[in-house]
Parts: sequence; C-alpha cells; structure tokens
Amino acid sequence: MLRLLALLLLVLPPLLAAHEGEHPSAAPATALGASAAFDGDGRLWLADVVDGRVRLRQSGDLGRHFGPATRVNAEAEDIDHAGENRPKLTFGPAGEIYVSWSQRRPKKWSSFVRFARSLDGGRHFSAPITVHRDRGEATHSFDALAVDGAGRPLIAWIDARDHLAAMQAGQAYAGLAIYYAWSDDRGASFQAERRLADHSCECCRLALVRDPSGAVRALFRAVSGSDVRDHAYALLPTDGSAAQASRATFSGWQVAACPEQGPGLAFGAGGVAHAVWYEASEGPAIWYGQLDPGHAPRHMLKLGTAGARHADVASSGRRVWVAWNQLSADGYTLMLRSSGDGGISFGAPRTLARASVAASTPQLLVHEGQAYVAWNTAAGFQLLPAERAP
Amino acid sequence: MRIPAVLLLLLAALAAAAASAPLVAPLGAGDVPALLEPPAHGQRIVMVWALDCVYCEPNMRALAALQGAHPGAVELVTVATDHIAERARISARLAAAGMQAYRAYAYADAAPDRLDFLIDPDWGGETPRTLVIRADGSRLALSGRLTAQQLERVAPAGP
Repeated sequence: MLRLLALLLLVLPPLLAAHEGEHPSAAPATALGASAAFDGDGRLWLADVVDGRVRLRQSGDLGRHFGPATRVNAEAEDIDHAGENRPKLTFGPAGEIYVSWSQRRPKKWSSFVRFARSLDGGRHFSAPITVHRDRGEATHSFDALAVDGAGRPLIAWIDARDHLAAMQAGQAYAGLAIYYAWSDDRGASFQAERRLADHSCECCRLALVRDPSGAVRALFRAVSGSDVRDHAYALLPTDGSAAQASRATFSGWQVAACPEQGPGLAFGAGGVAHAVWYEASEGPAIWYGQLDPGHAPRHMLKLGTAGARHADVASSGRRVWVAWNQLSADGYTLMLRSSGDGGISFGAPRTLARASVAASTPQLLVHEGQAYVAWNTAAGFQLLPAERAP
Repeated sequence: MRIPAVLLLLLAALAAAAASAPLVAPLGAGDVPALLEPPAHGQRIVMVWALDCVYCEPNMRALAALQGAHPGAVELVTVATDHIAERARISARLAAAGMQAYRAYAYADAAPDRLDFLIDPDWGGETPRTLVIRADGSRLALSGRLTAQQLERVAPAGP
C-alpha cells in the first residue's frame, strides 16, 4: 500500500499537468535572463530573477561587488527569463527606476507584460501593474523598455490578439503583432496600447532604443510574404500619428520556425542606426549593418557563422562595439569586435571570456564613452570591459 | 491487504493517463553520440523542438504521420531544447500532440546551447529542426515546419 501511494505521489504531478494545462515548473538553472544598466551616477544596476521575483542589486565597482538586493515584486510570479526573455531595467531623468518583465500564465503561450517603478532610488517599488488593457489569455511577451527624450517610459511587446481574432474569424494571420504603450505620469499608469506593426515573429526579442532626436525606435523580426523572417524598423509615435514599419533587412530567409534570436540596435554619430541580427538563408550567420529603411543595410559584415549566437551592439560617437556568444563543443566563448570609424571597418574578433556552463545573451553597455559587456552565466555575473586596460 | 475502492479507481485513472503521458528522458552531452549514431537499418528522424515554438507541434504531427506510413523504416525521436526541469510541460505538450509512441528527450546539460552545437553545428538554434540520420551514414537537416516538398525529401527512399 505504501509503495502504491509512493508511486502515486511520484507520477501524479506530471499527469495532472497533462490534464489541467501547463503548470509552472521550477525555474531551470539554465534560465539566466538578466539586465544590467548604468544610472546617472555611474552605478551599475543588475536585475535578475530569483524564486519568481525580480531582484535588483547595485554595484559601485563595476560589478565586482553588489549591495543588498531589493525585491521588485513582493508576490512571486511565473517570470519568463529563459532564452531571450529577461527582466528589463532602465532609468528616468529624475532617477526613476523602471522595471518590466513577462509573466507566464497557465494557458499555453499566454503571458502578460508587467511593470513596476521606484521613485526613491530602489528602496521601494510600486505594486506591479499589467501594462496592457487587453486581458485576453494570449501572448503579451518579450517586453522591451526605453525612455524617450521627454522622459516617458515606453514599453513594446509581442502580442497575439490579432492572430487569435483572425483565427476566430477563420482567416490567416502570419506571425503575431507588436504593440506598445507609454506613461505620461512617470510609470504610475500607461496609456492604452497601440499597434506598432502586424506580422512579427513570435519568439525573438525586440530592440527598443531612443534615437538622437529623443524618439524611441524598434527593430524586430517580422514575417512577410510566405514566412520570410527579415527585420522591420519603426518609430513609436506618441502624437497620435499612425505607426509605419519599414523593412530593414533583406536576407529573404524563408522558414516557418522560431529562431529565438532577436536583433540589436544602437545609435552612433550622425544618427547612424547600427544593427546586428541573425538569419540562416545560406547557413547560420550573424550580421552587422547600418540601417537604411526600405533598402539593405549599409556596410554589412558577417560577424560569425556556425555556432555564433545572440549578438548585441553599442555605439558612442564614431566607436562601435559588437559582442556575441560563440559556441563550440566545450561551451561558450564571448566574442567582441570594435570599430573606430563609425562601423565602416572593424578590428579582429577578440575573446573576452569563456564559460562551460549556461551563459545568457551578452548585453553591451556604454558608460562615459567606454563599453562593457554584461554576461550572466550559471557561474555568476560578469561585467567585462570591451577594451583592454591601457 | 485490502485496497480502498477509491484508490483502485485512482490507479485505473492513472494507468489510463500514464499511457497518454510520454516519459521524457534527460539528454546530456554524453548522450548525443548515441542519438546521432546511424541506425542499423532505415533512418532515424530526430525532431528538435521547444515549448515556445508554434511551428513545432504541426511538424511533430507530420513526422508522426510519415513514421506511421513507414513503420519499419523510420524511427522518430523528439528532443525538447527546454530544460528537463520543464518535464511536466514537455510531457503534457507531447501527449496533446499525440506523440506518446515516440522516444522523447529534453535538454539536461549544464551548457544547453552546447547541446545545440553537438547535435548540429550548422544550426542557429531555430526550432523545429528536423535531422534525418540514415543507416548509410548520410544526413539531412532542415529548419522550420516542413513543407510537402521537404517531407518528400525526409521520407525513406524504399517502401
């Protein structure tokens, strides 16, 4: 009898999951999504996820030591921080700390975009809010967060509502859509969300960056024609005008698949939009290029082929840095290339670090004209200077 | 020993459920060579998928139908790139897609992307990824939900 009961206890949880839908599992040790950012005083902040809570810590010595942690959300949530999903962190002009994340819901592929803010330097956070008015049990995920020139936080995300509505009407709808919303009251509330673009890829992170004019722009993987998964580029209007996305990459990669590799975007001198992206039209490749909406990017450079993954880009003036993970049978190598001429030419690839345990997507940060790569691995977080010490 | 009726009922329900919920085995780096070893005859199709992937379940169903049409010549195996800690979700999803009959794995390596590289170095990680490993040692690898034309390429040459 005891044996039978023991057997029941062993097999029951997965079977119940099979019957009731999808229960949250313990977060695997390989879910490492984290965001790092410098505040106006040059302190490094790190947001990661522990036990269903976004944990925020700060460092005064470039990530060598971190102070005590603040929990952003008091109540645990099923926070998606695997793959390219990670909590987002940015700062407002008056020291506001804005944090967003994607909350997985029990229904398959359903998720909500969540947001909280601190107005006292991270000592206290507001109760989390769901950013979108839409409460349909559908994908609202891969949130991206940026602050515009007027100091307003904007959030964009991948949204399944139009896909589901089309399906219910018996119509086809390629991919999902991008929606966005902004706050006029320092994150106390958000305006009703608007659609930025139809037909986005389902599982690739968006790049959301403030341009030199102060407007926020998005670069994301789109689905056009018959499953062509190139990228689109759009300004997020906040004046009531209609959003207009332009095709920005032209690989023609045709595939009904989830690449789970979104692009990177950074603005440099002269407003040049430096981008990195992945495609596999002729074998896996990550690329650098300068966006020229409606046309193929300029100064394209193939950064890596087999095993090259998850690139990011940063720029300061005419300097440009690109970083990515290079896989081998031994694990991960963090690679970097830099340019001193606005991305027209790049130096040879350099190895910044290695990991034989899980490593997340590298994130390039710029502080006082110097670039750093934030790299979260199962062995710990590292902030690596992009340039060798003089 | 008397077993309470309610427990018997529960066991009967469990036996039925167990038949529909496939067991998912952990896949580590050391298991990859055996997974890729050419079969003694016919071909093995390894379909790599992910919980987030909306194109994976239709691809699974198509490959299961293909295997059903060539039961002696095709062995079908699924590999989830999600960590084995997600076993409950993985198992539920496989059951919902009618994949009970097929050997199933989920990633269980400390460095998951390394498994991608070991399984297929010429792959950027997009799912589904369909690998065909034939008894003669030849291979075919395709990304994405297979088109009718691609399914013909994946199907075994003989009857």
